[in-house]
Amino acid sequence: MSSVAPEQVADQAVVDDGAAHRESIWAKAVYKLRRDRLGMIGLGVVLLYFVVAIGVWLGIWATEWGDVEGPKWAPMSAEYWFGTNIIGQDIFARAIYSTKTAFEVGLVVAVLSTIIGALLGALAGFFSGTWIDEIILWLKGVLDSIPFYLFVAAVAFALTGNPYAMHIAMVSTFWTTTGRLVRGEVIKLKNFEFVEAARAIGVPQVVIIFRHILPNTFHILLVQATIVFVAAIKSEVILSFLGLGVQDGVSWGLMIAESTQEVLAGFFNNFVWASVFLFGLVMAFNMFSDALQDALDPRKVASE
Amino acid sequence: MEVLQYAIRKLIGGIPLVLGVTFISFLLMVYFGPDKTYELLGKNPTQEQIDEIRHELGYDKPFMVRYGEYLKEMATLDFGASDSTGEPVSKVLARTVPISLALITPGFILGNLLGILLALIAAYHRSGPIDKYIMGFSVVGMSISFLIVVIAFQIIFSSSYGLNAFPVRGWNVHSFSDYLRYITVPTLATVFVALGYNTRFYRAVLVEEMTRDHVRTAKAFGTRPGKLLYKNILKNSMIPIITRIMFSIPLVVVSGSLIIESYFGIPGIGKVTYDAITTGDQPILKAVVGLTAVLFVITLLITDILYRVVDPRVSLK
Repeated sequence: MSSVAPEQVADQAVVDDGAAHRESIWAKAVYKLRRDRLGMIGLGVVLLYFVVAIGVWLGIWATEWGDVEGPKWAPMSAEYWFGTNIIGQDIFARAIYSTKTAFEVGLVVAVLSTIIGALLGALAGFFSGTWIDEIILWLKGVLDSIPFYLFVAAVAFALTGNPYAMHIAMVSTFWTTTGRLVRGEVIKLKNFEFVEAARAIGVPQVVIIFRHILPNTFHILLVQATIVFVAAIKSEVILSFLGLGVQDGVSWGLMIAESTQEVLAGFFNNFVWASVFLFGLVMAFNMFSDALQDALDPRKVASE
Repeated sequence: MEVLQYAIRKLIGGIPLVLGVTFISFLLMVYFGPDKTYELLGKNPTQEQIDEIRHELGYDKPFMVRYGEYLKEMATLDFGASDSTGEPVSKVLARTVPISLALITPGFILGNLLGILLALIAAYHRSGPIDKYIMGFSVVGMSISFLIVVIAFQIIFSSSYGLNAFPVRGWNVHSFSDYLRYITVPTLATVFVALGYNTRFYRAVLVEEMTRDHVRTAKAFGTRPGKLLYKNILKNSMIPIITRIMFSIPLVVVSGSLIIESYFGIPGIGKVTYDAITTGDQPILKAVVGLTAVLFVITLLITDILYRVVDPRVSLK
């Protein structure tokens, strides 16, 4: 590929930054993050959602999400805050329960794809130019050129009935961006003096990669994990609409999918509330992710 | 001549990629895919009947032979007939791909052009209120799910609860005005969703170029803002812009049309793919996955040649 690498410009900035101030990138990042008002609001909202999800997980609230208890399409009232859906289930309870589903999908996919991206990216970067790098790049290219929804459909076929087909499909495609970024960073880092020094005193290669180099890419991993989290939640909605998503329980995607029938009949509660919950979490996470990027990215392009 | 040589070399270089994609899709969709033996059998089949059907479907052949047959289908573009309708796959593709292109192209072009325009405005007013509004709008746009936009726009523009001005679903196109009526709502939805991501990306690219020394020099020499934006900044940012536009083409053709077409009931390639996913129609899925991979390799090639066009310093080697 003959593209001009903007990373090379950024590399310079990292070095300069480090030389000018002796505090760590993390201390500066926390300081900057705390002054970013939008970012802190985003973080607050995400934590609020997280508490709601933990409550569902512990069985404190929204336990009646699956019960058919009311009349169908009840309007919003004191009993049914957001009304009821086509078969009389409480929309409020379902929207709350879905928060847990969203965090489940988001966290599983974000954590696993970040780990895989970090490992494969580090290997490809450290052994760049060798057959290991070639194979990982080829795998990345292959996964990137299969249409995502088709890939999920194929995985769902192959793992008939497995409730984690969606998670597996997302993890196997979402690691590629993280992998590419880590690879680029590792290629840069492996020529630094501290790596040369480690090699000179005979530190084994595995230790150099995982103890000396990989921890220095942690800021990339953190930002990428938040981006993948958002992507996973958004993909879940589309996949649930296609019938490939969450298999047990309920999610905002499933609620929106079932609401397509109700909308035609003029009942918007299910659609609106699922959308509002989804939008709130995604927007808050995007705001937090942006602030994190600004705080950790020495280029600071997005904020200035 | 140089370009042709390069193209051939690049296409040969793309073979491992196509092999990889077809191998993975074969493994997932055919080898581990749904077993059709019992759908074709009557009640209480004997072992012989089962064996016979399995032989007809080719299930008893070794793995590599079956994969080889799939590759042969790919190379000759002969994918057999659709499982659900019995129509030859090549005919299905010839019928549906033009519809999808007609549906998606206006939104794709508009989404990118408007994205670049907004990004130029935002980058020019960097850190000012206009920039903040545009970036705020794009984060909001990025946070709304495509599915929600599609449903909401349908309520607003095509239902009796809203303007009721456009057809709700279907594709009954006989004239240019029909065409405009049917693509308006899907196009608005596509542009709305793409705009947030595009504007952000293009702004970041433009701002990066703006901080370069040559821009500062040009500014110091008193270059007018319009000329500065176009000649010094936009033209020098063409490489990442082209990369983004080109790489989104293969994905937009299949994934983008999937939601739009299945929701608006438009008989394009996305709808066909959606139906194939839900019914497990393997010949169609194999064709779509294989051809997307080929499209990807061709896109990579064209992208590299375009780099050369916008930047003569890039060598094709």
